[in-house]
Amino acid sequence: MSEALMSDNHPVAGAATPRRAKRSRRFLRNPQAVISTLVLVLIGGAVLLAPLLSTDDPGAAELSKAFAGAEPGHPLGFDSAGRDVWSRLLHGGRNTLGGALIALAVALSVGVPGGLVAGYYGKWFDALANWVGNFVMALPAMVVLLASRAILGPTMWVLMVVLGVLAAPSFFRLVRGIVANVRGELYVDAARVSGLRDRRIIARHVLIVVRAPIIIQTALVAGIAISLQAGLEFLGIGSGDLPTWGAMLNEAFQNVQRSPLFMVWPGLALGITSAALVLLASALRDVLEDGDAKPSKPRAARRARVVASATRDDAGPRAALLSVRDLAVSYGAGTSAVDVVRGVDLDVSEGEVVGLVGQSGSGKSQTAFSVLGILPEGGRVTRGSILLAGTEVVGLSEKGYHALRGDVVAYVPQEPMTNLDPAFTIGSQLVEPMRLRLRLSRKAAAERALELLRQVEIADPRKVFHAYPHQISGGMAQRVLIAGAMSCDPRLLIADEPTTALDVTVQAEVLELLRRLQADRGLGVLLVTHNLGVVADLCDRVAVMNAGRIVETGNTEQVLADPRHPYTRTLIDAVLDDAPARPAWVAPRADDGTEVPA
Amino acid sequence: MSRFAARRLVAGVFLLFVVSFVSFVLLSIPTLDVARQLLGQSASQEAVDAKNAELGLDQPVLARYARWLGDALTGDLGTSWFTSEDVLTAIGHRLPVTLSLMLGVTLVTALLAFLLGVWAGVRRGPVDRFVQVLGVVGYALPGFLVTLVIVLVFAVQLRWFPAIGYIPLTTSVPGWLSTVTLPILSLSVAAVAGVSQQVRGSVIDVLRQDYVRTLRARGLPPRRVLFRHVLRNASAPALTVLGMQFVGLLGGAVLVEQIFGLPGIGSMTVTYTTRGDTPIIMGLVMTTVVCVVVINLVVDMLVGWLNPKARAA
Amino acid sequence: MRIRRFPTAGSACVVAAALVLAGCAGAGGGTAGQSDPTLDIATMTFPQSLDPVTAVGGALPFFQATYDTLLKREPDGAYRPMLATEWTWDAGRTNLSLTLRGDVRFDDGTPFDGTAVKANLERFKASSGANAKWLSGLEQVEVVDATHVVLHLDAPDPAYLHYLSDAAGLIANPAAFADAEKLKTTPDGTGPYELDASQTTVGTKWVYRRAEGYWGERLPFDGVTMTVFDNETAIVNGLKTGQIDTAVVQDANQQAALEGATGLTTTPINFDYQGILLFDRAGVVTPELADVKVRQALNHAIDRKTMLEQIRRGKGVVTSQIFGTNSLGYDEALDSHYAHDPEKAKRLLAEAGHADGFELKMPRMTSIVTEAIASSLKSDLADVGITLTWVDVDQGDALRRVFQNREFSGFVMNLGQQASDWLVIKDLVLPGTFNLFGYTDETVRALVPEIQTSSTEDARDDLRALNRNLVENAWFVPFYRMTYALVTDSGVTATPQSGMAVPSLYNYRPAA
Repeated sequence: MSEALMSDNHPVAGAATPRRAKRSRRFLRNPQAVISTLVLVLIGGAVLLAPLLSTDDPGAAELSKAFAGAEPGHPLGFDSAGRDVWSRLLHGGRNTLGGALIALAVALSVGVPGGLVAGYYGKWFDALANWVGNFVMALPAMVVLLASRAILGPTMWVLMVVLGVLAAPSFFRLVRGIVANVRGELYVDAARVSGLRDRRIIARHVLIVVRAPIIIQTALVAGIAISLQAGLEFLGIGSGDLPTWGAMLNEAFQNVQRSPLFMVWPGLALGITSAALVLLASALRDVLEDGDAKPSKPRAARRARVVASATRDDAGPRAALLSVRDLAVSYGAGTSAVDVVRGVDLDVSEGEVVGLVGQSGSGKSQTAFSVLGILPEGGRVTRGSILLAGTEVVGLSEKGYHALRGDVVAYVPQEPMTNLDPAFTIGSQLVEPMRLRLRLSRKAAAERALELLRQVEIADPRKVFHAYPHQISGGMAQRVLIAGAMSCDPRLLIADEPTTALDVTVQAEVLELLRRLQADRGLGVLLVTHNLGVVADLCDRVAVMNAGRIVETGNTEQVLADPRHPYTRTLIDAVLDDAPARPAWVAPRADDGTEVPA
Repeated sequence: MSRFAARRLVAGVFLLFVVSFVSFVLLSIPTLDVARQLLGQSASQEAVDAKNAELGLDQPVLARYARWLGDALTGDLGTSWFTSEDVLTAIGHRLPVTLSLMLGVTLVTALLAFLLGVWAGVRRGPVDRFVQVLGVVGYALPGFLVTLVIVLVFAVQLRWFPAIGYIPLTTSVPGWLSTVTLPILSLSVAAVAGVSQQVRGSVIDVLRQDYVRTLRARGLPPRRVLFRHVLRNASAPALTVLGMQFVGLLGGAVLVEQIFGLPGIGSMTVTYTTRGDTPIIMGLVMTTVVCVVVINLVVDMLVGWLNPKARAA
Repeated sequence: MRIRRFPTAGSACVVAAALVLAGCAGAGGGTAGQSDPTLDIATMTFPQSLDPVTAVGGALPFFQATYDTLLKREPDGAYRPMLATEWTWDAGRTNLSLTLRGDVRFDDGTPFDGTAVKANLERFKASSGANAKWLSGLEQVEVVDATHVVLHLDAPDPAYLHYLSDAAGLIANPAAFADAEKLKTTPDGTGPYELDASQTTVGTKWVYRRAEGYWGERLPFDGVTMTVFDNETAIVNGLKTGQIDTAVVQDANQQAALEGATGLTTTPINFDYQGILLFDRAGVVTPELADVKVRQALNHAIDRKTMLEQIRRGKGVVTSQIFGTNSLGYDEALDSHYAHDPEKAKRLLAEAGHADGFELKMPRMTSIVTEAIASSLKSDLADVGITLTWVDVDQGDALRRVFQNREFSGFVMNLGQQASDWLVIKDLVLPGTFNLFGYTDETVRALVPEIQTSSTEDARDDLRALNRNLVENAWFVPFYRMTYALVTDSGVTATPQSGMAVPSLYNYRPAA
């Protein structure tokens, strides 16, 4: 049970294995990640193999050779004490990177478990750990470093351990914050209900979520440790006898008048390592975090079976409210561009409810987004025509679009909780568009907002008006979003799975509300859904979409009673067989495991 | 909000107390032979003992801490062992220098980092590349190198600004500006690089939020969505970073202070801690903790104002 | 000024810089509308307090501004009258009679007289000041009358006039002694300047204004400001931009950075020398050192010339002796006594029975023993079979471990070359601070009493004999005398002070 719930509700947790494979592939395809890793591996390798790459003792000095240039066996010449620069660079890297590793190890081993426990269990440990974290962060780092140096002796390793302790709170806070958020989420609750042990939950679900931020933070802290070490050397409280890049840079700086060139090598070593670390961090961020939000290149469209007659049947006269012809939507550019919607024709007339059905990834949301002109980053309409109340919106400027949104076409999104700006009250989010679009006064807009809230059957409109999104329930948020969509009296409502995220009783209420509003106002509605029950209940006409194309269009009764396309038949059979609706519709993954955008 | 602030302040006072105790105990570990440093290496053991007695170092740690705490509560942090200056006066003279830098850097960083970060996050493309490269370069360049180049170019070669020294704001505003400009510039390079990345990331995150799409679909002009909704939501994490940066400058400006010969808190910390001048170090620790508590409080209140959910937590 | 760098307040390198206030934008030197320009002296050493008992060499100019000394020491080391007009020793050289000025008063009207001298000297002797031991032999100050005192010593001390022209000779108002805390920040002397408390930030900047009605020679500057910097980079940048007009720059690289800068004049100062202070001549910590041949081997192993060339960029003179060029004991021939000769060093070690070498542990303070010094000494000694192990120590830590715990056999230091021979002997030769283990030998035992009881000039031969004995028996391993640069801009001239790393306050003049 828990497995099913998890795969349904939280893709990150449930789909760990394929996603991991996908990530490593994505990592390999990211040139920034590959190059920076390569650079780090090269540096690390060179440093590890220092005794092989340079036979000179990094401490061996021949003062008469001070500042001498390159010569055989000494490719970078000699420093101010007549020591081989190449050898010092390699051995210095050992100490510099080793020191950073120590700092990291300490910070990670203190911060991460602390954050996990504090975030997961909370209670007294959280309070205590939080306080200790704040305490450490409040300590003046310089004083702590100097004092510990005085007490524990002037070795760099000690300083790096102390630095690790000082950096631990940053990991602690990061992990604790994420874990505390995740703990409240459904799939962990489900796992807990199903009787998994805490340790297993932490290992299986929580660690996976915090992994990416930790890796990124690690790269950043490593960079900071390295540059801080160099700074300490500059202040003369560094590594003493031990060669480090910081010590070399400092020494070169002392002799800058004499030979400015000596700053180049340690400076480059430090700079390249830090740059590689920060570039790696940002690439990792792309790979591990942002990747999920970016639509990856779907190949579903290519696999679509096309039944030409079915789509072309009623591509007849164009409706006055919304008319889409031969729409194509692509992601990516050039040869890697992929169509996710192709040749779609669709019409919605005033007062008509049209259902757009299909499984996840069929392109129905993309179609809806293109009508609204709000395709996600990277997506664009590549072909076709969309007439919105007689205006051609394909190729329309943002400004022109903006004149249509709100009062001609409005949008009810799928996920209520993420579609309200958490920083503003419900009221201000309702009032703002009305004031701009309808030019209402603040007071009039507020009154109208309260009226709208009443209309969407919210019991205490005034209270909700002043509430922040996090203070209301999901069902109420969906009502608020419907109220928001209605606020400027649109003629066409595009509702994208308006009930999917709600529980069953609320679903019915919201559908009823939509039906009533549609009837009262004579709205045209484009209802995007995967749920045939909803379609049967609400829609006058239905368009069935699969793999980026419309495979069948017709009036609801006819299509449901006598589906002409085999795909439509499968959909209906699935419902009739009384099979659980959702699992049947789970997004099929493309060949390469990438997920098709919903 | 005020109850929140009050609770935080009480916690801050407690923190102050604990940090002072821990620092005092750490400092009392007698590795730095203060008396001998004061008297020179030729001092006799009797002279050293006498000096220790004079400084109260012959007393047990707890007794000394109790005395220090008692004096501190009456507003007397003592006098420096090495220069005989009154601790509060000494810090009072130096704090404005560092605060000038901190405020200047924070202002410059906030402005530039937001501008660059938002620009990069919204426009992407070449602008984004540029800001990212800038970020990496700013991050990878050793701070003191940047500072030295800035001094050489703008002070020594071009003579646009003085190379050293500090003129208090109260003495002359243009003078103050001329002395803090280059240090602020030096410190801002890394700060802008870091914070603009943060802002860029937050802006991109927020731009991908569903509610941004919904707001656009509601007919709000893009500019309004950006400035009112995206910026506000993206500011909270950026503010936290900015706050940490601000705190970091309290001691982290030391290199710049030294190169520009600025009598600030950072160089003071290094000099006095190396010597083991307990009264001054304790004063510096207290100053730092107070600054940290106040800055964190301000940042948290700002973040709470920007993000109502955080307020509730 | 005595052995510096190390003990004095903090900064490991001590720089005194004189700067002429130039305004932030590098405007011209003098203050318009006033008759005399002002002078800023910046330094990397600063006074622990302005109470004269805490005065030490590098910080002396801070005290010279507000206090007069009993005697004035001229740049060449000669003594001139100041608060005392005459001084004479008795035949046994244990009683010093001083004739005092009768026309000097402190600000509150308290007269400067014999009682004031007695109070000051006794307070100095009893204080915990770094130089208090100078007066340890002072048995009694006899006040004959208001303008005559006699100092009774328990033994002859040839450096006495030096003391009285230095820290011990600074005379404060006895009325101020009641409130010692106040005296630390509020000087009360008869000197040429007064502290301007409103402009002064203790620890950073001390501002002095001309004292009206000063009894003595009028100094050419209306005001003096002394500013403290933590590093020479800032000072050099300030010199280049005209914000600082004169400074003493120690670091060879920083000196090089100033070469070619227009409008700046450089005068060499030869005060500090660098070398290993070898305490352990009796072999307490490192038994091998008890053999004179081992100590000589150390001296032959060091490549002084290369060190000077590479580390000091040739700014200095190699030497094998601790007596400075201004002292009577100095013998030019001894500068080159120990040539770099690894073979000879090895032979000496072999003769001493240490052909396989031994380990020598020395503390390393990174501020003095730079990377280059550390590694070159290490490899020079390694070449003759001696393993040099550096033990990293902090400044505060070093004092305790070296002088209290006596953990080490030697210590690389920068030491000032005293102008007074007796101070050299007292500090370095007699059992005490720098002769931790109290080592001595026959020649020293014979010569020192002679030197102590004769007048300075009469002691010349004995001093030179003593010096030769120290060098030949390898008491020390000196490397070289370091040349510092006294840099002045076109507005100021300055004269180096014998036996000090910084000029006395009296040595600055506006350029003609």
